[in-house]
Amino acid sequence: MNRDEQAMASSDGRLLCPRCGGRMNLHAEKVDRGADPASADADLDGVLAEFHTCPACKYVLERVALP
Amino acid sequence: MRSDSPLFIPVILGTPRQGRYSEHVARFVTAEVARFPGVETEIVDVRDLSLPVSGAGEDIKDPAFSELCMRADAFVIVAPEYNHGYPGLLKHVLDTNLKEYIHKAVGICGVSAGGFGGTRVIQNMLPVLRELGLVTIFWDGNFSGVQKLFSPDGALLDASYPRRIEKFLKELIWMAKVLRHGRENVPLER
Repeated sequence: MNRDEQAMASSDGRLLCPRCGGRMNLHAEKVDRGADPASADADLDGVLAEFHTCPACKYVLERVALP
Repeated sequence: MRSDSPLFIPVILGTPRQGRYSEHVARFVTAEVARFPGVETEIVDVRDLSLPVSGAGEDIKDPAFSELCMRADAFVIVAPEYNHGYPGLLKHVLDTNLKEYIHKAVGICGVSAGGFGGTRVIQNMLPVLRELGLVTIFWDGNFSGVQKLFSPDGALLDASYPRRIEKFLKELIWMAKVLRHGRENVPLER
């Protein structure tokens, strides 16, 4: 867990799929408690990752949630 | 691959052992999945995934298996019960992905030589699947006395199983459709 993938964002804030350019949907978050403690969210006791799915090609992107 | 595209529901054969009866179960279930219109399937044999055992989790991902999991809308796991638990290699394989599973449906077919149809392996798998982000259904496949359920060439000998598995798969397909809609269209509250 905790791959920090990069993607462009559309004007409405949705990420654009790095594979096909489709507008992705953020549908899940998960705390990674094994990640580097230096970057952990103190309230959540770990690093918060978010998961975006592309409806067009099914690609799932994972990145660290923005504060 | 939008919501009107076929569902993809692979069947994971969860044991590499020689002489495994679970292979008959996996082939039977895969054929039953393929009977549903608009559903694609294939068997994933954990024996064919050459994962190192000197590492664990996402550090040892098999790219082809991860791509297959990304494409999947749901999973069937065929899990034999070994000493009331699941095969170690099945757990090792499942642990190599995470993002590929999140908010996807999963159903378990338990396999046992005894009379409880793999109930204990199913119960032991549920918390693992939940932690991986998968969504379990409330139908199971229970294959009791598996050594007597199939002929040596894999023909099913009990006529009650197709209807049981049809019910199991209808629930799985419903959940797969709902979750695909959610993954693609329903944003997390911000």
